Formats: sequence, structure tokens, C-alpha cells
Amino acid sequence: MGFVIRRLLAALPVLFLVSVMVFMMLHMLPGDPATVILGDEATPEAIAALRAELGLDKPLLTQYLDWASKVFHGNLGRSLLDRTPVTELILQRLPATAELIVGSFLVALAIALPSGIIAASKPNRAADHIGTAISFIGMSIPHFWLGMMFIMFFAARLGWFPASGYVPFSVDPAANLMAMIMPMVATGFRESAILMRMIRSSLLEVMSLDYIRTARAKGLPMRRVILGHALKNSLIPVVTASGIMVASLLGGLVITESIFSIPGYGKLIIDAIFSRDYTTVQGAILISAVIVVGINFIVDVLYTLIDPRIKLGKESN
Amino acid sequence: MRKAFVVCATAAMCILAAACGGGQSAGPSVAKGDGAINISLHQDPPKLDPTVSAAFIERHVFQSIFDKLADLNEKGEIVPMLAERWDISPDGKKYTFHLRKNVKFHDGTDFNAEAVKFNFARNMGESSVRRNELKEVDRVVAIDNNTVEVYLKNPFAPFMSILTDRSGMMVSPAAAKKLGADFMNAPVGTGPFVYKERVRGATITLEKNKNYWLAGFPKAEKIVYKIIPDANVALVNLKSGQLDITNRFPFNEAGNYANDSKINLVNIPSPGFGGIYLNADKAPFSNVLVRQAIEALIDREAIVKVALSGVGTPGRSPFSPGNMAYSDLDKPRKPDLEKAKQLLAQAGLPGGFNFALAVEMDPAAQQVVQMVQSMLKPAGINASIEKADFGTVLDNLAKGQFDVSFLPWSGRIDPDQNIYDRFITNGPLNYAKYSNREMDRLLDAARKDTDAAKRRELYDRIVVLALKESPYIFLYHEHNLFGMGKTVAGFMPVADGMIRTVNLSKQ
Repeated sequence: MGFVIRRLLAALPVLFLVSVMVFMMLHMLPGDPATVILGDEATPEAIAALRAELGLDKPLLTQYLDWASKVFHGNLGRSLLDRTPVTELILQRLPATAELIVGSFLVALAIALPSGIIAASKPNRAADHIGTAISFIGMSIPHFWLGMMFIMFFAARLGWFPASGYVPFSVDPAANLMAMIMPMVATGFRESAILMRMIRSSLLEVMSLDYIRTARAKGLPMRRVILGHALKNSLIPVVTASGIMVASLLGGLVITESIFSIPGYGKLIIDAIFSRDYTTVQGAILISAVIVVGINFIVDVLYTLIDPRIKLGKESN
Repeated sequence: MRKAFVVCATAAMCILAAACGGGQSAGPSVAKGDGAINISLHQDPPKLDPTVSAAFIERHVFQSIFDKLADLNEKGEIVPMLAERWDISPDGKKYTFHLRKNVKFHDGTDFNAEAVKFNFARNMGESSVRRNELKEVDRVVAIDNNTVEVYLKNPFAPFMSILTDRSGMMVSPAAAKKLGADFMNAPVGTGPFVYKERVRGATITLEKNKNYWLAGFPKAEKIVYKIIPDANVALVNLKSGQLDITNRFPFNEAGNYANDSKINLVNIPSPGFGGIYLNADKAPFSNVLVRQAIEALIDREAIVKVALSGVGTPGRSPFSPGNMAYSDLDKPRKPDLEKAKQLLAQAGLPGGFNFALAVEMDPAAQQVVQMVQSMLKPAGINASIEKADFGTVLDNLAKGQFDVSFLPWSGRIDPDQNIYDRFITNGPLNYAKYSNREMDRLLDAARKDTDAAKRRELYDRIVVLALKESPYIFLYHEHNLFGMGKTVAGFMPVADGMIRTVNLSKQ
């Protein structure tokens, strides 16, 4: 319990710094919301009026404190563009992105786990070399390029999947999956390459440890040595990496979402930045910081479950 | 191992369940052979309220939800819509509108003279983006239930043309009063389709207005606007039947679909134009000779041929073919390097100069300025291209922080709306900070004159002067290129480039 509270307290300065930095960087961008909102038909008076209405004419510090005090009371404010509550915008956009992250991650795992194990069980043999080659290709191919190739081949040429057109899962699960498969595979493939390298090297490292040698000396078949003894311990670094991976996916999906026109979280932030919708960007990034902190926390908890030697909150040597 | 797997799997299931469950709030209905017409839009329309609308893209959706006092037909003529007819007083200052009877807004509110009065007041209010367009309106009087008189401060020839766009769109007074600023998220008009729901960034769904005043219309059961930013992705969707109409067809693909078995192309000259602002407030562009030199160097036919793949008309004026003020002055001339060099020498810059050329993040726009860049080089004028997002380009223009900046304009039907605010001293679109007394006089005279022939003559003089002064260099008139499935019927090509949905049907 003490650990949880300490972790939460430690997160506060992080979130505070994130909010200040995002606020400063946004306000350093040229272009102000009023000009963008009113477009190229605006008169200077109209721009001035809108700036006053949105509170943009106040000093920066006042603007920040106004926003921060609202956030402190659980209110992320309203979009400068269309006055929708930012919380609502975020809740609308999170499901698609969460689905994409989970889906890409499962795709990555489905590819990486078997291929990593095979590569590690027969190091420096043909299977390992092929696996390594594929993983290098996977790491080198940008996922947006792969996404476009998928669209051209599977959507345009073969017509198996829709090229774009997101449908929420709750409305039509089948249509949702059809629309999400290509983006999930495109992002998952790249992540799988990184994950596979990690599983391979970590598994190889564990395999060289004494207890494995003992197990093998006892005459256990290779299969049982790997799956029963080695894999679990080799997963510890992989779990850490997965936490980081999910966090980086949260940011990296911006491009995938744009290519496949998925109304996700990344696209929300990008669109909001282009329209200088300060409150939406601030709120969305704050929430994603909370999510990343939360994921790191979950990863820490998972640690102890996988490796009982690690105790939460206690310095381990 | 088992424990770890269970933990991982449970975590994954929880996230997935949360992901799927949360979708409830978004809940759109997506068309599947239910009489819906699927139309792609290249941007998400931010605000579905004509009074505060500042985005071109919103105007497409408005055509379905809101009727206007008057509309444009396929010939570009102004025709009755919610006003059955109108009379203009001989001095051009009083417009009497006779309104269509028995029209109701989607929420059941009556459309009548009071509603028109309310809409004018709303559009002229402080937070309205329409204010500038309607600033010549003095007062609006409801004579009886179906008659409205609008009094102008001065004769103002573009007035009826303005009412065929957002300023003439009628919103439900009851809904507007009730929702206030939130009206943009639940728009109510008298149009052929009723706003149903939207998923931000993905779809806007409209349903048939069963009580539409025009008997037998609309033809389609539903309109679904799908937001697809990339024109090539939209094309793939059109080919696979996910879309019926794309609002932007990739220019460079046009040649491949000229005789396609499944796709029709509709190419409509738009009233808009592309061009560059030269900052007349800043050296060396404050020197008219420099501006003339640049004007002389530009090969407009090459720009249209290469950057627009031929889907456009090269032009030197704000008036495209089909506009009442169009004349042969718009036709491009061959670039003249010798003349440009002479002008530069006269301006004291015989060796040329360097400047920054600002452009938004749009591949087509960037290709245009790259061509401009290479055309200026032989005279020693070196442009360094500075790319920025639209908001930054606009902000720098407004603050006068630019040398030369590309900014196209979607265009309007009346000539005044394409040039007045751009060339009048201190005009809201006069980013070049250009000022010329003769120009001001001509522009004011042309907007007040209700005699078409005299107006045309005035606009000819304006174009000659605009070319000589060149604070904004017009390059071309873009065409609107729509892609359409062959099963779609009833598409009306209207010069304002907006998709009218009332007639559309699918076989």
C-alpha cells in the first residue's frame, strides 16, 4: 500500500512538469487559435473579440493557472474550436487507440514469441538466421510505408479489407475488425521484430545459467527446458520493454491513424495542434502522461508476479 | 509461467474490454446498402453552424442540412430557394423577400419572416464570422408572416450572391436559442437531410427529411460523410465501393480514369484561384517594379500543366471563366525574362535578390511554389521555400511577417467577393498591405453599381490596375474534380464546387 501511495506522489511532479512543458511549447508555436478558428475571412476586430472570449488576451501565467486550477478540480475544460468538453473528446477517441494498441501488441506477441523461442533454441542455425533477417527487415520498414503497401495490395488490388473507414466495435464488431486488421498488423509487425530480438537474446542469456544446465544434465527434453524453466525468467526484460512499447505506441500511432483514417487519440492530438486548440492538446497530453505512468506502475506489479525475488518498494540488491 | 500468462492475458482482456465498451458513446450507424450515399471529405468539418463557420469543408455538409434564401443553379444563376421571389428597389437599397409557405425546420419550428429576421440578427451579431459580409445591412423588417424587407446602407451588388452561401442559410431560431454556442454540435435547418450524429474525425451521418418542402425529394435515405484526408486513399475506397463520391480526386490520377468502367469524373471549373501575396510593406516588394518583374517571370500555363496535371485554368485575374467579370485579360501571357531584367535594373537590383517564400503543408501547393521558385531563378531572384502548417502561414500573413506567401482562395460567385477585401486599403484579406486610392475608388464603385455592363467595365479597369500593381499575383483557377461511382445519379455540378445532395440517388 505504501508503495502505491509513494508511486502516486512521485507521479505528481512528473505530471506537473509535463503540463508546464506542453503549455509553454504550445504557446511558443506561431499562429494563435483565434486566427485558425476564424480562418482567412476574419476581420482583425473579430479576431480580437474571439481572443478575449477565449481568454487568450490574458498573461500566460494567468492562463496556465486558470487551466491548472480547473484540471485540479477534475475539469479539463472545453475545446477552443467547438466548445466540446475535452474529456468527452478524449473518451470518444481512446477506444479506437486502445484497441489498436492491444491489437498491435497481440499481433507482435503472436509473431515474436514463437519465432524468438525457435531462434534461441537453435542459435546460429538456419532458423535463427532467417528469423534474425526477418526481424531486421521488420525493424527497418517504417510502419506507415507498410500500411500504405497493405492498402494498395489488400484493399485496392484484392479488395479483402476496406482501405479506411472506422466503425466502433460496439456498433458492428465484424466491420470493426475488418477495418482494424491492416493497421494492427502494420504496426504489430514492426513491434514484433523488436520484441523477437529481445526474447531471443534474453532467452539465450537465461539458457546459459547454471539451473538450466542442471535441468539439461538431468536429461529433460529441450522443449520442457525452454518452456518450463527458461521462458518465464527470460520474460522479465520483455515485460519492461512491453511497458515502454505500449507507451511509444500511444505516440507512434499518430501516423497509422492518419493513413487508415482511424479517429484515434493520436489523430486527436495532431488535429488539435494544427488548429491550435490549446485546451484539447493540453488535456490529451496530460491524460496520455497519466496513462504512461499507469502502465509503468502495472509493469512494476507484473514484475513481482513473474519474479518473486523482486519486492515492491524495497531496494533489491 | 502459467501465473504470468494468466496475469498478462487478464490485463490484455481488461484493456480490450475497456476499449470496446467505451465505443458506446461514439455510436454511429454506418451505411450498408441502406440507400445511403457515402461522400468523402478531405477534412473533418469543425463547426456545423453557418454563422461561425470559417472552413471551406463545412460548406459541403451545410448544403444538406440548411436551405438558403436563394441558391445557385448549374448555370451559375441565382435562383429561388426559401425565398420564392424577391424585388429590389430602384435605388438598390431595399430587398423585399417573398418567402415559401409551409416550410418547417427539422425540429418542427415554422420557417417564416420572424425566422429570417432572427437569422439576419444572428449573422450580424458580435461572434458571427458572417458579420463582415453583411455589414451593409441596415435593418430587417418582417412585414407579414411571409414577407421580409431588408434595407441596405448603400447599394451593394453582391448581396444576393452572398445569400446563396452561409449568410443566406436559415437555422432554426428555437434550436439556436436553446443551444447557444452548442448549436454547432446539433445543427437544425430546413434542408433535405436531418443531422443524426457524428464520430469526430470519422463520419457525419444525416437522415432523409421526410417532410421536405420539395415534393419527392430528397431521393436518398441517408447521407454519410466520411472523413478521408488522403485523396488516394479516398480513391481506393471509391473503387472498392465504400464510397459513392469523393470530394477531392487526385489530379495526377485523372488521366487514368478518363474511360473507367466503374468511375465517372466530374471536372467543374471553380470560382476560386491560387496565387501569392507579395508584402508591399517590405523591401524589395514595396517597389512596384520588383513586383512587376516577378509577375513577368511566371509561366502560368506550365504551372497548370505540371503542378495541377492540367486540371485547372491558367489565369491572371480573380475572375474565372464563367464569372460575370471574366474577360480576356485573364488569359496568360508568355513569361518575359528580358522585361523582368530591365525592371529589376530600374529598381536598382540588377543582380536579383533573395527572399523567403512561405507555403502551407500541402503537396500540391508546394509543387506550385517550387515551380515559381524555378521560374524566378533565371533573373537572379532566389526564393527559399519555407513550409509551415496552415495556422502558421495565416498568422504570419496577418502579422505581416512574410516576404511572399502562397494562399489560395475557394472563390465566390460575385466578383466583389473575390477581390474587394484583398485589394482595398486596410481590407481584412489585404495581407500585402497594399494601398492605392484609384483602386479603392474603383472597388467601391464596382460594388455599388447594379448595372451589369457598367460593373464589368469597372472590373476590367480593376484587373488592369491589379496586374500593374501586383500585390497579389494570380496564378490559376483550380477546378473541382469529383470522382463518382457509375451507380450514382443526379449529381448537379454547381460552380461554387459544393456537392448538392437533394437530387442524389443510387441505382
